[in-house]
Formats: sequence, structure tokens, C-alpha cells
Amino acid sequence: MGIQIDDLAVAYGGQRVIDGLQLAIEPGTFFTLLGPSGCGKTTLLRTIAGFLAAERGSLKFGGTDVTRLPPHQRDIGMVFQDYALFPDKTVFDNVAYGLRARKVAGPALRERVAAALDRVGLGHLGDRHPAALSGGQRQRVALARALVIQPRVLLMDEPLSNLDAKLRVQVRETIITLQREARITTVFVTHDREEALAMSDRIGVMNQGRLEQVGTPAEIYREPRTGYVADFVGGANLLPVQTAAREAGDVGPVTIDGGTTIQARAPARLVAGAAVLVARPEDIGLVGRGEPAPAAALAAAVTTIGASTQAGTVTHRQYLGGKTSYRVRLGDGPTLTVDVQNGAHDRFEPGAAVSLVFDPTRTLVLAA
Amino acid sequence: MRSMRSIWFWLSAAALVLLIVFLVIPLATMLTGSFGGGERNGWAMLAADPRYLTAIINTLLLGLAVTATTTLIGVPLAYFTARFDFPGKGIVAVLPLVTLVIPEVIPAQTWLMMVGNNGLITRYLAARDIDLPSFYGWPGLVTVMTFTYYTYVYIGTLAAIRGFDVQLEEAAQSLGTSPVRSRLKVMLPVVLPAVLASSLLVFTLVVGNFATATILGNRVPLLSVLTYQAAVSEGGSDPVMQSTLASVSVAMIMAVLFLQRWIVSRGRHQVTQGRGAVAARLRGGAGLVIGAFAAVVVVVSLMPLVSIIVGAFTVSRGPVMRWGEWTTAHLERLITSAPGPVLNSLAYSAVATTIGIAFSALVSYLIVKKRNPLTPWLDYLAALPLALSGTIIGIGLVLTFNTGYLQLTGTASIIVLAYIVRRLPFGIRNASSTLYNLPDSIEEASISLGVPPVATFFKVVLPLMLPAIAAAAVLTWTTTVAELSASIIVYSGGRETMPIQVYKLIDSNLMAQASAYGLVLVAVILIPIIVATKVFRIDLFGSRG
Repeated sequence: MGIQIDDLAVAYGGQRVIDGLQLAIEPGTFFTLLGPSGCGKTTLLRTIAGFLAAERGSLKFGGTDVTRLPPHQRDIGMVFQDYALFPDKTVFDNVAYGLRARKVAGPALRERVAAALDRVGLGHLGDRHPAALSGGQRQRVALARALVIQPRVLLMDEPLSNLDAKLRVQVRETIITLQREARITTVFVTHDREEALAMSDRIGVMNQGRLEQVGTPAEIYREPRTGYVADFVGGANLLPVQTAAREAGDVGPVTIDGGTTIQARAPARLVAGAAVLVARPEDIGLVGRGEPAPAAALAAAVTTIGASTQAGTVTHRQYLGGKTSYRVRLGDGPTLTVDVQNGAHDRFEPGAAVSLVFDPTRTLVLAA
Repeated sequence: MRSMRSIWFWLSAAALVLLIVFLVIPLATMLTGSFGGGERNGWAMLAADPRYLTAIINTLLLGLAVTATTTLIGVPLAYFTARFDFPGKGIVAVLPLVTLVIPEVIPAQTWLMMVGNNGLITRYLAARDIDLPSFYGWPGLVTVMTFTYYTYVYIGTLAAIRGFDVQLEEAAQSLGTSPVRSRLKVMLPVVLPAVLASSLLVFTLVVGNFATATILGNRVPLLSVLTYQAAVSEGGSDPVMQSTLASVSVAMIMAVLFLQRWIVSRGRHQVTQGRGAVAARLRGGAGLVIGAFAAVVVVVSLMPLVSIIVGAFTVSRGPVMRWGEWTTAHLERLITSAPGPVLNSLAYSAVATTIGIAFSALVSYLIVKKRNPLTPWLDYLAALPLALSGTIIGIGLVLTFNTGYLQLTGTASIIVLAYIVRRLPFGIRNASSTLYNLPDSIEEASISLGVPPVATFFKVVLPLMLPAIAAAAVLTWTTTVAELSASIIVYSGGRETMPIQVYKLIDSNLMAQASAYGLVLVAVILIPIIVATKVFRIDLFGSRG
């Protein structure tokens, strides 16, 4: 069942947090709301759930208007950051709770609860109380409890953020498997970009109550429409630049302060003037001054257009095992982060004279 | 959403109306009464008669003296208990129980049985030519109140010291201060607000105390006693003067409570969850001295319980106690010919506990979980009885409900009402303790699963509140059964409760009979506490004092 949100306005704590939001989520989609704390993503989720009232606009589940429907009549499944299991009830009774509210009883109840617990791999723990479970197990129970009622929409509010890194990946897999199996329309709130990229069909990046960009994980990562999205979805170097007017897809020179010129691609039309250059740390090549750029590090297009190579000086180095992250000063200008993964990636000492190689297809220029 | 809010809103409004009718209007009636009718202005009379000024000064002096003595006993005891192991430390753990178990009316009586004019110890010493000074007046007032109230300081200080992060002390030592100095410089400032807050609480309790003041203070005029006398004096009560005196003590207690709040709010240092101290073992001389100190405190605290048992079974001829001769006649007579007060107490307290707990559970839920424009008012009004002594609540209720649309004076309901109003802030505090720890998401989870908000309260919240509600019920029961100062003003003939009966018997100097009722009273208090803590494992004395 799809979700259609039109011209939504929501106030929270006397402040209008969301104003005029527009969003359509296709049936069966795993949709992630991604953004920093305070961006309004949880407010939006709680409005979809019905715990916050819309001041204006409409909210439809599969064509049915639910804007004025109280939350207990919306037929939603909800998973909370703190699990929100009923501490005095057993795992079985937690999962059975929503079914009992729907007047399911007897063998049908037992069967459905058992099946739901089996699906999250906890069929043997029905008699336990939540206090006797680990964090990962608790969140699986919460997931089973939300899914067993076969809700029209599954809503998840940072369900993984209380788990440690290893469990997070495991529970993540459980969530994806169950969601794909049931093909249930899901809205997932997180501030973790890796989670968003790994799990979602589509991502909506939120900033100050607005949806800054909506797209598939690859679109969001590779084709960010704003510097904010580029930076939030995976740390990017953002540099103020001057550009000439551009058509979408054009590759051409932009000027950094200090006069350095770099070739960059404009994914959308640009007017002449101030713009922002976006270069991801792993997309910038690093070679010793005077060495040729390794062909493998650059996309095929470079050979035709030609890479921009700029002189720089290493200022800091962090060895991270699988890669090394450098801070490199570009001429007399700004300092950039550059990640090197290939070969002896830690070979440059702070102070080393290096050349930065920009791949023009992956170096983007966006409206400021 | 809109419809969901309205039900909690209307419940809040209903609770507010009840509080206004049964708390605000009585208080207002009483306070405005001080300006009297026509030429009888209570404040002018207060200024004219030096007896009243003396009473005010005496009350302040007694408050300060008892605050000082309870702090001197409570703080060291808490510090030694928290930080050291010493011989006999186990018995110190029973201390919180003592204040709860011993009703207001008992300590003064039992002290008199021991060291009064006709007391056991007085007579024993007199036979050896040692004359004890009279226990009536200042010596008795200070002694009895000290041992009645020091536990408040003890419990408050103990909680603060236990909550203190020892790593701060270690940090101070690592920076080069000596252990003693670092304790003074680091621990004292953190613990001090809790000590002051509980000391000031003692001050308000002393100002409001009626039972001890009236039994022992016949040579020392005190505000609470004069107020009571103005309310029920033989030659007809004086409504203007009782209102004036009550206003003075309300103002006094309010001022101290605001001071206390201010200290607590200023002293709320953000102490992160740290490491508690490991109690150091004290050996040899120091351990013996501290152990002896603790033992004396505990023995003196428990003395009323022992003497009431002894007194209840001692043969008496009128006021004369024949120590060493035993009988069960007092208890037999109580059961066969005068069980009225016992039955009254049981009935009134049962009703008051039931109504009071239901109301407290609802109001605490509204205050903690269903904030709306009315909840701040609800919050303030529900805490208001903290500033009112029992005497004042009793006077307010009598003045308001003796005539008019709701005539309750002379009925049992006014006694029940007095119980409920007095106990309200504590009931709400007990009931809300678990609510603060209950995340909102639990309720939202239930609602999201299709259970409407009101049903969610009954299916999810109420079961989780039950342990706290059970604890609140037991504590409400024990305190209402022991209530004296409000009920003695509102009761009418034939509706005596056990504490009232004890008080009357003490007044007639019939200590053995008073002990018999006192013993039954203590049993009625102790049995539910033992059942609750031992059978149902309810935590009655959690960290909250």
C-alpha cells in the first residue's frame, strides 16, 4: 500500500517543523528518511503514524485519506529505537498483543505468533520476559510484534541505533529479509548513511523540515543535487567555485579561489557565477609530485577529456588499515580530504609534495 | 488526535475541580477568616496578646532546635552507615521503618511512661534518691521530636552519600589534596543540598506537629496547640483566632518549603552515574565508638515500641502503673467492651486508602504522561497539602463543610476526606515514581498495535504501575491509620479513631489503656508492612524518602 503526502505542515513544540512537504512512496518500497537530528525526520514519521497531528495537508495510505484518523485505527506497525516492549509481558504475549486487539484467539493466535517468532529466529524464546533478552533479540521481538498484525505500513524510528555495530548488521539483514518477503511499504528513519544506503529502495534526505533530495541509494550518492546531500550521504569535499553557465551533463572548467582551475561535471543546469564543487575523498587520486597518474584510478572518460592534476602538500595522515585518509593542501588554497586505498596507501608522509588527480566525471559542480 | 486529547483534558479538569472544592476552598475559607467579621480582626488580636507572639517565637525556637539536633544525629549516622562497616551495622537498616511504624501520638506517651512524673525510670531513680528534672516542657519536646524526626535527615543524607561518585573524591586526591580535605571539599558541597533539604523538612514537621506538642508542651505555648485550642476550646471555638494562627503557620511552612525548593534546585549538580564507595571496615576503638553511637540511637528509637508492649500488659489502678505486675485485662476490655475506635480506624482508613490511591494514580498519570494546559495547576495543587499541617487541613474542612450545600461536619466522610487530603502529595509521589521511568514509546507501541489510548492505559500502563500503587496503598494505610492532628479536629462523638482514643486516654493519664490501643494501632500498621515487604516483596522504602 503506497503512501501519498500532500502539502503537509506539522508543528512541534510550538514551532512549525515541517511546512508544505510533498512525498509519494510506492507500494512495497523500503523508504528511508535520512538526516541529522533535528531535521524533522522523526516528526514526519510520527505524523505518518498519527502521534502528531497535521496542521495542514493530507496523508493517504493506498488512496484512503488517514489525515484525521487516530493512530490506533491506522493499521500501522511501528518499531521504536528503545524497543518499547511491554516489560511485564512475555515475548509471546508481546507479539500476541496486536492480534488480541484484533480479536484473534485460540489456535489461530498461537500459530501466527509462533510463525512470526520463527521468522525472526526467536521461536524458542516465547516464554521469556524482555529483560532476559539481548538488545538484538529485543528488537527482533519488536519487529515480529509489528509485522504479525500484517500492517498496511511499517514504520521504524532508528531501530538499530541502540545496538552495537555487529548486532546492527545482523538485525539489518533480518529487517531487509522480512520486508522483501512481505513486500510491506516501509518508512525507516535513520541518521546513519551506511544503513540508509545498504537497506533502502529509495532514500529521502531531509534538511530543516524539507526533503532535499529523493532517489535510489546510487542516485543519492553518485548524483547528489546539493552540497548538503553530497556531504551528508558520504563525507565530501565542498569548495566554493566560480563557473560559467552550464547545461546538464556538461563537463568544463571551474575556478577555485586562488585561480586554480579544475574540470568538473554539472549534473544539472547552472547559471554563471558562484557554485559549489563536490569531490568525494575516494574519488581524488593521489600521486607523488611528477609521477604519472595511475590509469586504474581514473575512469575511462578521463583519457578523452583529460584529468585535472593539481599540486598539493600533505598536512595530516590517518592510517585506517584498509585505507589511509590524508589532508592535502591544494596549492595555497583550501585543504581537502583524500582517501587512498590501493597499493602502499600510507606511503606519503606529512609534508610530502604530491599531485591531486581529479576525475572530471566524478567531480561535480552544483548550484551554491 | 484532537479527540484523544480531550478525554485526558476533561479528566484533568474533573480532578482540578475536586482539588478546588476539597482543598482550595477550605484553605481560602480558613485564611480569609482571619480578618474576621466587623471589629474582630484576628491580626489586631494577635498583635495585642503577648501570648501569641510567645507562641510564634517558641515554635520557631523549637523548630530550629529540633532541626539542629536531628541533623547532628542523622548526618553522622548516615555517613558512617554509607562509608564504614562497624559492629551492629545491620540494625541501622531498620531505622526507616521506625518513623513509619510509630504513630505521631505514641512517642510522647511512651517517653512519659518511662521518664514522666510517674515513669518507670523516674520511679526507679527516685527510689535511689536521684531526681530527674521534669520531662514536660522544653526537655521533653526537644527529646521526643528529635527521635521522632531524625530519620528524615538520616534517609535524605544516606541517599545523597550513596549517590555520590567516589571517583570525584579520587580525582581530588590525585590532584594532591589529602583524603580528609578532599572529602570536605568535594563530597560536602554535593551532599549539602540534600542535608539542608531534609533538615528543612524536619523544621516544617516540627511546626506542624500537634500530638507531641500538646501532650508535652503544656507549659510552653506553641502555635499548633493554640490553633487547636482556638478551634475546639471548651468555652466555644474562636474561628477568627484559629484562622489567624493557622495563617501564621501556613506562612511559616510555605517560606521554609520555598527555601527548601530553592536549595534543591540550586544544588542539582549533574552527578553522572559513578562508582559507589566500598564501605571501609572499622576495627578496634573507632568501630566500637561508632557502633555504640548507632546502637544507642537505634535502641532509643525502638524504645516506644517496647514500652507500649510493656505498658499494654502492665497492671494499673487508674493512673498508677504497677510495673512488674502483668495482665491482659486492658486488651480484653478493649476487644469486648470498647472496640469502636479500632473498627472506626479500620473503616475510615480502608475507604481513604481506596479513594486516595485511585485518585493519586489518575492524577500522577495525568501529570507525568498527559501534559495539557491544566496539568501545571494540577501539579501545584496536589502538592499544596505538603505546606499544610493536619490541624490546618482539619480546620479548613470544618469551616467549609459545616453548613451550606455540602454539609459533612459530624459525618464519617469528613474524617475520610481529611485523611485523603493530607496524604495526597505522598500518594502521587509514590504512584508517579514508575511513570517517570516508563518511556512514552511503550504506550505508543500499544496504540500503534490498534489499542485505543484509554484501553492502553488499563492494559499496559496500569499493570506496570501496580507495584508502585501497592506500595503507595500500604504507605497510605499506615499513615492514615496513625493520623491524629486533622481527624481530632473534624471528628464527632462516637467516631473516635485509635489515635484519638489514645490521645484522650493520655489526657486522662490512663497510660495502660492508652498502651493497649497503641499496641493494636501499631499491629494494624506493622502487619500490612510485613506482608507487603516479605510476602509480596514490595519495595516500600526505595530511594525516595
